[in-house]
Amino acid sequence: MIQFTAMLRDAYRELNSKKLFWIIMGLTIVSVVGFGSIGFGPKGMTFFFGLTSVENEVLTRDSPVARILYRAIFKAFLVDLWLTWAATILALIATTTIFPDFIARGAIDLVLAKPISRLRLFLYKYFFGLLFMVLEVTVLSIGAVLTMGLRLDDWAWEVLLAIPVVTLFFSYLYAVNVFLGVVTRSALAALLGTIVFWAMLFALALTVGIIDMNRIPAEMGIEQARQRVTALEARLTENPEAEDRLAQLLETSREELVAQEAAIAPLARWRDRIQSIRSVLPKTSETIELLDRALRRDSDINFGDIMQGNVEPTADGGFRAKREAESEAAARMDAEQRALSLWWILGTSILFEAGVIAAAAIVFIRRDY
Amino acid sequence: MVATERTTQTPFAIDLVDVHKTYRGRIRALRGVSLQVHAGEIFGLLGPNGAGKSTLVKIMLTVIRATRAGGTVLGRPVGDKPTLARVGYLPEHHVMPRYLTGRQVIDHFGALAGVPRSVRRQRIPGLLELVTMKDWADHRIGQYSKGMMQRIGLAQALVNDPDLVVLDEPTDGVDPVGRREIRSILLHLRERGHTVFLNSHLLSELEMVCDRVAIMVQGRMHQQGRIEDLTRDSRRYEIVIDGDPPGWLPPDIHVGASPAGEASKQTLLVRLGDEAQAIQPLIDRLRGEGRTIRSVRPVRESLEDLFMRAVENEDHPGAVRGGRRRAEGGA
Repeated sequence: MIQFTAMLRDAYRELNSKKLFWIIMGLTIVSVVGFGSIGFGPKGMTFFFGLTSVENEVLTRDSPVARILYRAIFKAFLVDLWLTWAATILALIATTTIFPDFIARGAIDLVLAKPISRLRLFLYKYFFGLLFMVLEVTVLSIGAVLTMGLRLDDWAWEVLLAIPVVTLFFSYLYAVNVFLGVVTRSALAALLGTIVFWAMLFALALTVGIIDMNRIPAEMGIEQARQRVTALEARLTENPEAEDRLAQLLETSREELVAQEAAIAPLARWRDRIQSIRSVLPKTSETIELLDRALRRDSDINFGDIMQGNVEPTADGGFRAKREAESEAAARMDAEQRALSLWWILGTSILFEAGVIAAAAIVFIRRDY
Repeated sequence: MVATERTTQTPFAIDLVDVHKTYRGRIRALRGVSLQVHAGEIFGLLGPNGAGKSTLVKIMLTVIRATRAGGTVLGRPVGDKPTLARVGYLPEHHVMPRYLTGRQVIDHFGALAGVPRSVRRQRIPGLLELVTMKDWADHRIGQYSKGMMQRIGLAQALVNDPDLVVLDEPTDGVDPVGRREIRSILLHLRERGHTVFLNSHLLSELEMVCDRVAIMVQGRMHQQGRIEDLTRDSRRYEIVIDGDPPGWLPPDIHVGASPAGEASKQTLLVRLGDEAQAIQPLIDRLRGEGRTIRSVRPVRESLEDLFMRAVENEDHPGAVRGGRRRAEGGA
């Protein structure tokens, strides 16, 4: 316990000495204040703590849509944009030196000559390296909960889920960073390698996303074609006298169905291949999207719906998303995303992380310094 | 000698047997090194660069894994982690976290050594006083000079009140006053019963404080023992007289080259051994002949001579031992 506390305190002191940590913390606080500067009055939204306002009958203080919007802004800007992009890159830059500095000649000797096993040393150093992101995301999440609670009386404690979710997301990348840092002993090589790895994950996820943007409407088209074929078959059974015309129509529909199915087959095949590669890699974007599940659980309205004005009142006094066919495809993509199992998202990602950390630990433990 | 009496009565603090280390690429850093350090003594390990001294030290402290190693450190097998709670270590070219103050460094490494917080708090002011760093204790390491870092490094090595203190070049970068202070700290540690293992290139300093030394060359242990014992063969009396050597010199007296040079018309007479009584008849006879005796002095090899002889012997195994060669063939 004495050694655990010593390593934890040292990790905090190391963070505390990094200017970048305080710059990111400052920007995080500015982001929370910016978030809090958005308000909702009886007639609509207010900005810059009420300095300017926009009248909108849907986005009033008592409207549930205002709550949804607030959560959506938190997710879209504070988490997606700030934490999982800008702050993550800055955090990687700041933490990439931790292991190369730790195992530098002259530094590691002092630590290894203490009565603490190499594995414990490694694990303490690894987990305490995550303190950087934990502190940043904790400040941001608590700030967001307080803002929503005080502004709209919406005490969204589920926002605090951002702490483990974003930390886990960061830990996937940090694990790779640590592995490269331990193997190469170079902070720069570790940072570059991690960014390349992250870009690869992003590219794979993006490719699946692009395929899905084509696949899902195509699948919807196939479903419609199947329904048409089924309907025609039924009609043909009911009206044998219209046999020639219906049979021709049915034949054409069947041919169209076969053509559509043939067109979608390569897409599905490539998607399966990429997803099978992704199944052993960390799912960064899906992990962050888990927050969305928690934050949007009581409504199907999303940030895009509100921004595009696709929100309409319901008979019971509530609101629902008003979608065209195009956005039906988007909704289905969204639904597919939500249907992904926690095992596939978190389980396989954590397994990957554990594997990388185990490899780094083996190198760390077996090396002569 | 006090140290000798104590060491003969106590077990070994370090007892290494047949330690081998071969690095990748088949570089054989250690080739069966055995070494014994008695509890309560100051022990010096010498050797030229690349002799394997640091490798040996790092193996004792689990920084490097031996290819093969037998023996014990503080009575436990080499590589036993819990034993390190009783060991203090100051590595050569150490790098301490620059974001910590001197006080925090001592506290941090004390905690890693398993020293409870209350004990650390109690000990740290005394250690800062000991290494004369009290006034700089709350400045960050980044502001320290090399000598200051050595002092703080020494303090962190002592924070767990270790039975064995291993210091690799402890006076590196320290000014002469600081060196003297460090020497007195080492002697103080010995008085308190600590065992001190020193690895240093500064032979004169080792000679001043070490009870025993070992010389390593090319991954092998060349010699180890008390300095007096190791230099016994080289002890001699040197007598410088005016004029040519007398014709009646007994066979145990050797003639060497004059230290003042040939032009000085002086002769150097050498008798091996350290018994003063044995040279009295020679002096009497020289005086009886009216010879001018310029000087009579007891001489023994310095640690540096011993070291150089070990290195030369390793490079040229067939060479004559230096002490005798010097006596026989001149300086």
